[in-house]
Amino acid sequence: MALKTLEIIKKRLEERPKEIEKARREGQKVVGWQGYNIPEEIIYALGLIPVRIGVGGDDRMVEIGARYISTKNCVFVRETVGLFAENNDPYVQNTDILAFDATCLQTYRTAEIIQYYFNKEVLILGVPRNFYWPEAKVYFTKEVEYFTRRLEKQAGKKLNYQILADTIGLYDRIRNAIVTIYTYQAAAGNYLSWEETYDLIHAGYYLDRREYLSLLEQVLAELREKQGQPFIEAVEGEARIFLSGSVLPPGDKKLIKIIQEVGGRIVGDDLWSGLIPYLDVKIPENSLQGLAVGYLNRTPHGALPYLDLDTDRRIKRLKELIQTFKAQGVIYHTLRYCDPYTFKAKETKDILQKEGIPLLEIHTEYAGSDFEAIRTRVEAFVEMLKNRYDEEVAV
Amino acid sequence: MSVSGNVFRYPEEIRDDFLQTADIQFRDGSKASPAEVWHYLTEIGPKKYPHIYDYSNYYGRKISGDVTLPFSLKHNYLIMTMDERMTKAKQNGIPVVFVQGGQSVDPYYAAGAIALRPASVGIWASCQHEGLNLNQEEVRRANQKEKAYRAISFEVCQSAGYENIQEGTVPVDMIAPYSCLRCSDVSYGLEAHRHGKRKDVKLFLADYPLDHQKDKEWAITYFAENIRRLIESIDELTGGKTTAEDLRKEIKLHNEGRRLAMEIADLWWSAEVPPTNGKDRRDLFQMGGMELHGDPEASLSLLREAKGYIAERVKKGQKGFGVSDNPVRIFVCGSCVFPNEYRIEEVGGIVVGNDNHWSDITTIVEEDGDPFYNLAKAVLSYPYEQSIKERAKWTVEQIKRSRADGVLFLYNWGCNTQSAVARALVDEIKRESGVPTLIIEHEQQGTQSEQLQNRVNAFVEMLK
Repeated sequence: MALKTLEIIKKRLEERPKEIEKARREGQKVVGWQGYNIPEEIIYALGLIPVRIGVGGDDRMVEIGARYISTKNCVFVRETVGLFAENNDPYVQNTDILAFDATCLQTYRTAEIIQYYFNKEVLILGVPRNFYWPEAKVYFTKEVEYFTRRLEKQAGKKLNYQILADTIGLYDRIRNAIVTIYTYQAAAGNYLSWEETYDLIHAGYYLDRREYLSLLEQVLAELREKQGQPFIEAVEGEARIFLSGSVLPPGDKKLIKIIQEVGGRIVGDDLWSGLIPYLDVKIPENSLQGLAVGYLNRTPHGALPYLDLDTDRRIKRLKELIQTFKAQGVIYHTLRYCDPYTFKAKETKDILQKEGIPLLEIHTEYAGSDFEAIRTRVEAFVEMLKNRYDEEVAV
Repeated sequence: MSVSGNVFRYPEEIRDDFLQTADIQFRDGSKASPAEVWHYLTEIGPKKYPHIYDYSNYYGRKISGDVTLPFSLKHNYLIMTMDERMTKAKQNGIPVVFVQGGQSVDPYYAAGAIALRPASVGIWASCQHEGLNLNQEEVRRANQKEKAYRAISFEVCQSAGYENIQEGTVPVDMIAPYSCLRCSDVSYGLEAHRHGKRKDVKLFLADYPLDHQKDKEWAITYFAENIRRLIESIDELTGGKTTAEDLRKEIKLHNEGRRLAMEIADLWWSAEVPPTNGKDRRDLFQMGGMELHGDPEASLSLLREAKGYIAERVKKGQKGFGVSDNPVRIFVCGSCVFPNEYRIEEVGGIVVGNDNHWSDITTIVEEDGDPFYNLAKAVLSYPYEQSIKERAKWTVEQIKRSRADGVLFLYNWGCNTQSAVARALVDEIKRESGVPTLIIEHEQQGTQSEQLQNRVNAFVEMLK
């Protein structure tokens, strides 16, 4: 049975576009952002309304976007452009300023295209690819400072560092709450599914962040009451699946539905539209430099190349999360033309194979034409995982 | 020229004039006399590399029939001797670095290495296989590519020599590209080497900052540090210590190449009739990048000699071999790919310029002051890497200078970053110049697809 708070969140999400519209009429500005390394805390601390833009799963919108950007770009990027071309999405309609980071080159290109064709004010945050160098941290700090100066102009005021400190505290609590909720969804006797958790994360893209924290805390309170202390273990008959790879934005439920329909249970992910942005965030000081360093030190996004396999923190984190959530197999989702993750599919499979963890790559788009083909493959994978569990128990 | 059974031969009647031309000067102080070049092209080359002498127009890399242009012959000699020259350099302890990212190669040579782009690495690997006809060579290349697709992804737009490096076919010591906006495969292709079987290849990424990078002091400083670290990494291979003075000296040398290429381009574009065909033009202009032959001094000696020949042809109003009367002039934009120039000339067109690589050749590096900073600033200023409007503005200037009648935007299948801006860029170019444009997706290189050619031909026809 769904948690009561989820119903409240659903209702609040329905009301949110009108609220934002009203706030804009009263003079507040909305920053629509996309990326992995944008410190949202700065936007919020300046009194601007942050909204994380971009949805998935709508092939029609992909086609519209492809009129401006290319068919050789991933569907997420194309759909984002499509949203601006059609201009029906309430969040897109109510965006005053756009902020994109340069983590993924296609996201950067999306920003260029939106700026060129739809005359939007776009701020870009440069992101270093040699992110582990001390010089890269200096560069990124300067970028964050420059980004802030431009946001200050939009906000019409200077950043107040006390407010920034409070905001960092608020966001830390949000991050902690999400990480804890993930433990509950993966536990035995769970009252919250991974899909609901995923939707919960996406609710945070739109709701006011203070309210969002309060709702997350309500969810946690409900979970504590119903579920008690979460205990993660593999249960007989389960095929516990970990999702990795390309972005699964709000609205892109094709793969999720298939996994669930064929009897798989998703128990965790390291997606940048999922858990990973909330992990390992340690802001060393309440300053722009602290934010820059804290963001850069997180588990890196797959779009940032790392040249030494043995010390790759992304791979290390993936292995840890698979263990934490007691996943039995990985479905590695790659969107066509998503180079950062597609190029790593075989490598990831080889690495996990050494650990005895099977990986199935699903390479897809938003079109429904491959639905049955994916279902057949996922079904076989789920069946294999269930058989493996039985065999292991028998041994 | 002479063609027998679709096999090209250099005609004896040009021999005496060719022997009067200049030597090719190499970086190690050695030289190749015209007599040696002639012997190689007429005796050794045809036996070792029959596929290069295939004279079908379907072969986009076929030898130019413009046999009275000595630089064209010498260029072919340098291509065919790639394996021998690289093997010799390796024996002399000179590291070979694989590069990508459309950048100038000054820092690599300053540190005492040889910098080779994907095409050059492909040529090197190809030259290790003797006696193959064109079909056999195409099959060999395709087979090699499959290895890269399996190891990385079938969506790599081009595998950037992964197969040759990882198979150990070409003993590259280091892979050190720039992570420019031009190509997303550069970074991930480099990263893919970390799971390859060759663990002795050093990996380095020169991190190219994005977004108004040339106007941000912190971006220039950061990129200068990348160049410094790049040079230090090469120093670890050579055991040397590259100084700022070494880099300054190298910049001066490369600036000479860049300036010569621009002067030649001005001459070429000023001519009433195109003084060379499209293939010779492309090779000639690209020599200004000083990377084509794996030896900047060799490229420079060809450029120095070529300028006089081009000036002479322009003065006489002499047309390049194979060029039709009053051809439709096409400017090519986009990815690191080209149409088959010979097929375009067949239907009455000619390629007069391109943006890729030309962008870095036209960027002169300041010679006074800190060479690391100067080089970083210049590299971050490449027009090709700027915003849509800025890049389009520069491209329109080149279109006007080259008097192009149409613009062809080509991008490789799977090329995310160039395809992404294809429409926006051509829309802007059209708006600013009024020149008609066509966007085409390009399949893998080699013998060209008819589908692509049909579209190019129709475009040329429309512009006539």
